[in-house]
Amino acid sequence: MGAKLLNTLLMLLVALTITGVINRTRAVLAGRKGLRFFQHVMDIGVLLRKGAVYSEVTGILFRIAPCVYLGASLMAFLFVPVADLDPLLSFHGDVVLVAYLLALSRVALILAAMDTGSSFEGMGASREALYGALIEPAIMLAMATLAMFCGYSSLADIFSTARSLDVNLTIVMLLLGYVFIKIMFVEAGRVPVDDPRTHLELTMVHEVMCLDFSGIDLAMIHIGGWLKNAVMAVIAADAVAVAFCFRWELAAPLAVVLAGLSVGITESLRARNKLARNTTYILTITAMSALVLFIGYLLLKNIEIV
Amino acid sequence: MYPYLILFAAIAVAALFAAPKRHKVWVAAAIVVLLSAAAAAVAVEALCGRQEVVLAEFATGMFGAERLAVDRLSALFLLIIAVASVATVIYSKGYVEHYLERSSSAHIALHYTSLVTLVGSMMTVVMSSGGFSFLMSWELMTIASFLLILFEAERREVRRAALNYLVMMHIGFIFLVIGFVAVYSATGLASFGALSDYFSRHAPLPVVVVFIVGFGMKAGMFPMHVWLPEAHPAAPSHVSAIMSGVMIKTGIYGILRVAAEIESVQTLYVVGIIILFAGIVTGVWGVILAAVENDMKRLLAYSSIENIGVILIGMGIAYIGRAADNDLVAMCGMCGALLHAVNHSLFKTLLFFGAGNIYSKMHSTSLDKMGGLSRHMPVTALLMIVATVAICALPPLNGFVSELLIYLGMFNGVGEGREVLYSVAAIVALSLIGGVVVLAFTKLYGIVFLGSPRSTHVAETSEVDNCRIAAMALPAAMILAIGLLPQYAVRPVVEVAADTIGGDYAIAMAHFTPVLSTLSAIGISLLAVVALLYILKRRAQAGRTVSSSPTWGCGFTALNTRMQYTGESYSEGLENIATSLTQNRVDGRTIDKSEIFPSQHRYDVSHKDKIDRLFAAWWVEAMHRINVGVMRLRTGKINHYIMYALALLAAVMVLTLLNLL
Repeated sequence: MGAKLLNTLLMLLVALTITGVINRTRAVLAGRKGLRFFQHVMDIGVLLRKGAVYSEVTGILFRIAPCVYLGASLMAFLFVPVADLDPLLSFHGDVVLVAYLLALSRVALILAAMDTGSSFEGMGASREALYGALIEPAIMLAMATLAMFCGYSSLADIFSTARSLDVNLTIVMLLLGYVFIKIMFVEAGRVPVDDPRTHLELTMVHEVMCLDFSGIDLAMIHIGGWLKNAVMAVIAADAVAVAFCFRWELAAPLAVVLAGLSVGITESLRARNKLARNTTYILTITAMSALVLFIGYLLLKNIEIV
Repeated sequence: MYPYLILFAAIAVAALFAAPKRHKVWVAAAIVVLLSAAAAAVAVEALCGRQEVVLAEFATGMFGAERLAVDRLSALFLLIIAVASVATVIYSKGYVEHYLERSSSAHIALHYTSLVTLVGSMMTVVMSSGGFSFLMSWELMTIASFLLILFEAERREVRRAALNYLVMMHIGFIFLVIGFVAVYSATGLASFGALSDYFSRHAPLPVVVVFIVGFGMKAGMFPMHVWLPEAHPAAPSHVSAIMSGVMIKTGIYGILRVAAEIESVQTLYVVGIIILFAGIVTGVWGVILAAVENDMKRLLAYSSIENIGVILIGMGIAYIGRAADNDLVAMCGMCGALLHAVNHSLFKTLLFFGAGNIYSKMHSTSLDKMGGLSRHMPVTALLMIVATVAICALPPLNGFVSELLIYLGMFNGVGEGREVLYSVAAIVALSLIGGVVVLAFTKLYGIVFLGSPRSTHVAETSEVDNCRIAAMALPAAMILAIGLLPQYAVRPVVEVAADTIGGDYAIAMAHFTPVLSTLSAIGISLLAVVALLYILKRRAQAGRTVSSSPTWGCGFTALNTRMQYTGESYSEGLENIATSLTQNRVDGRTIDKSEIFPSQHRYDVSHKDKIDRLFAAWWVEAMHRINVGVMRLRTGKINHYIMYALALLAAVMVLTLLNLL
């Protein structure tokens, strides 16, 4: 039980700090002093104390959607192990549940956006639905690679057997970590797929869907977003940590650093894609994911023969 | 047996025709409920008991002895049919009410007779041992559904769709006849049971493929799916519901029956691969076309095709697993496929009922006329969100449970390192389907129920009568039950699957129970968490200013409802990728860039399935020309006809003399 609580606590810390690291990295690279490290958390505190303005067009669905978004992200969040620790929840096949819970949170937000009847939010919803559909195979392929190596289909079992993997396969685990980070870019709505600062192209994807949320609703969506980031970041860090030293002392900071630095550096150094190119970009991630699986498959077959 | 059956049928039809127009529905309902209750009772007996329940044995003139019997597989399908039929007939009361004034009494009677016949024939289809009684019921099912589609026969497109359906079903029927005749000529029996005898002595693959094509036609397997998107918009909604929810499953049932008789491992392996890839193509094709479709009922029809694809993927995984002697994979795949068949029958009937509610108020199924309907039809909107979440296979509802089982099978296959590539192909397909189906159904729900109205009709709509709501509540309740308590709901399905695929019930249950009970706990706690968050939010907001204002328009204040995203624009991104699957027809033109002061433009784009072209290609033209040629023989003069008969007799005689006949 202690390990499970520690795991949840660590996950929570990771979720809270990633955005801080991203902001700080961007500030340093731009030569700015930057925000306070936990400014984003304080912003949430402000939002939580506010009232709300709801659009006249919206109904009850719009008011429940943020709760579903946060609830589903939270459930997915409880399944992820930090390296050698046990997650709070786990069962055979939870890799599928995690992916579909993330999809549920996406659906909640899409429907809420469509409830406002705004053309901007419709655009965001349409894009989010498309990108979500295209990234799904990449997630499942990456999960399948993990299952192929470890013979299990629950995240906890996968990573608890992963440390005894053959050294050849650890290379593939590194590649998988890379793929998961790429997937995180898409899921979290970060450059190059989306831009949280939304410099037009009619305000991009994720942010535009939240245009009409305010107060506690907006806070819930932000928190849900952090939790979703943490899910992908920690899975990526776990995959990478297999290659070095599979302990939570390493994996937890690694998750923050990997996610924070990669997003921060990418956002500082490159512009986002033209929207029309996003589909190609996402399909490339899927292709990469498939490639990693085949490399892993070949290596696995080879090892069996020897 | 026969006299009683005929007597019952005669009394039923007489009662339907004799009853006053307004009360025909109650006669139909009484018959359907009676049939369903009897079927359910037999099904439960077969599921609980260890052996099959034989209802009747009789000799047929053509194919020898046959019988009506219920084993576990039949029992499962009987239950599916029973539930959906009862919901359908209750729903039809409200739906047909609008037509009572316009239609003659005979018209309504014919409609209900067909409905009752459809229900009865579907039940005999899944009980028949094969051969004559099977083909007879199968044909009866086709004719009954054909008449049901023709409900609004005064509309030209309805007649076209119905005829199209009738022709395609008969092509499928011919394949089935060929299959049964081949088996009969080799073994002297034409039942499904005789197949194993046939398979052990002859090359099984050709006959299996013939049966798969024949049954695939009914199921809507690619590329034989084209009748579905034509027939469903034409048919009344409750007919679409029972056809899409249940009738196409008889195709799946047929494939299951045939494949169950295959004993050779190599054949099963090949059949598994065929079914798996048929499923992958059907599923992906169906879901992408569903997502680009802008007509509510056509969208639902394509989604049925997609769900058949998912069921076939599960079956394919099961057969490949069986061939590889991996019990768990086989059981996971089969349980997933069967449970998905059950689930689909529930949420698809619910979705079609919902579409029917909207059609009866809006007199249109075009998405781009809707918007904001949840204000006027709150109960329909609530029931439809249940169906939407369920069909998107999202936790905590039933669609997720069946897909999870299929995924479990595939991940097991991958984890054991055998047949990895097939499993991976299926994983990619299923996850892509899962992703795009979200796009399709957020589109459907979002455009129809959310936002602001896109036409003035919306303001005049109101909630439908309680009868229809009650009919919808039945599947909705079962969706919730299976979704939240899967560990109990899955038990009968596992038993059926153990029979069908030859797996072990205890081992499979030992594997599923911990997974599904955790899933159930998680589903319930997810609902609890969401409710808790909502209550906490309301509490916190209680003392604060909560105001309402227009939707934020980025500073633009002259927003109108025409500026909302439409169904077409919602799926534009996908259309750009999926151009190779569809054929776009554009009416009007877009605004040219050089037009500084744009004039008024009309722009209308519609998408057609590329496969449609296959059925509108040269060979249709050629057949048409042959028909015209043949029609020249029809002169209308009796002396010519006598001459034809004479010529035929002469030809037969000559051929006999030459020993050619």
